[in-house]
Amino acid sequence: MKVRYRAVVALLLLSVLGASFVHYEATEDQRWPYPDADELAADYDTYVGKQAFLFGEVTAVDADGAAFTIKVEATGEIITLSVNGSDADVERGGTVQVYGTLEPDRTVDAQVVRVVNASTGALLYKYGASLVGVLLFLVLFARYWRVDTGRWVLEARRDG
Amino acid sequence: MADLLTHVLVPFVLLTVASWRVDWLDRRWVVVGMGGGAIPDLVKVDLVLEADSVGAMLGVPLSYGSFSTLGGVLVVAALITLAFRRDHWRRVYGLLVAGGLSALVLDGLRVFADGHASAWLYPFTNWRPPTPSLYVSSDPTVLVVTLALAMVVLVADRYREPS
Repeated sequence: MKVRYRAVVALLLLSVLGASFVHYEATEDQRWPYPDADELAADYDTYVGKQAFLFGEVTAVDADGAAFTIKVEATGEIITLSVNGSDADVERGGTVQVYGTLEPDRTVDAQVVRVVNASTGALLYKYGASLVGVLLFLVLFARYWRVDTGRWVLEARRDG
Repeated sequence: MADLLTHVLVPFVLLTVASWRVDWLDRRWVVVGMGGGAIPDLVKVDLVLEADSVGAMLGVPLSYGSFSTLGGVLVVAALITLAFRRDHWRRVYGLLVAGGLSALVLDGLRVFADGHASAWLYPFTNWRPPTPSLYVSSDPTVLVVTLALAMVVLVADRYREPS
């Protein structure tokens, strides 16, 4: 297929992809029945008594470990919430998932708390491993495939 | 989600085993499938080009979340396929989708505190399939197990070759 036609099809596909970004955001509520950080930041009190599912970073843990504080990123601001009723082993700097009921005074009565990244190190590990993944793939791909600069297509290497 | 290294190694394991039965499926095709495994990770574009900022600039809210869905994989795989020679398209597309699907399924097994994975079948359904919550994304066990499997398959593949 000529480069020109491929470019047209690629543009069409890119438009579909772009539309999906907008559609995905616009229909988020249909997949995620919980209030998001922006909604909580704007008007927390409306959601008191509702179920919430939050992703946040632990900023402080009480001395007895029964309660802790998380910060959740909203657009342009960060909201802080207290989490009670958890027996999860959380540490400051870790990332947690909190599923529970929203109580007054920005407090969450947690039913389930899961530690996602125990610390900042866990996040670094994840990005490090991902970088290795990218490099491994690029090396392998370049070994078996090449760009045919005559027709601007990817072609298998004969010696691959 | 699991790390990207796991995402490319899982298709390597699955497709290398499949290649023992399917004649045309040699290493170069396996590598294409590995690339497919990385498609859902494109959602991380957000780290360099924040969706919120782009949305504010364009005046319409958007999210890259669709990259990590079946719909996203089908579209991105088609885009990548276009870059290949015409007579490779069918295989390339199939392998990219297979790789992407393996990554989505793997991510669908990870921990969600409410017991349901993300709605990765979007846009076909907004339903969030139940997850067994097997692992958290930063759990090295996932990578260690996958690496071990990849080693076993690699060695087995070498020993098969003479026959």
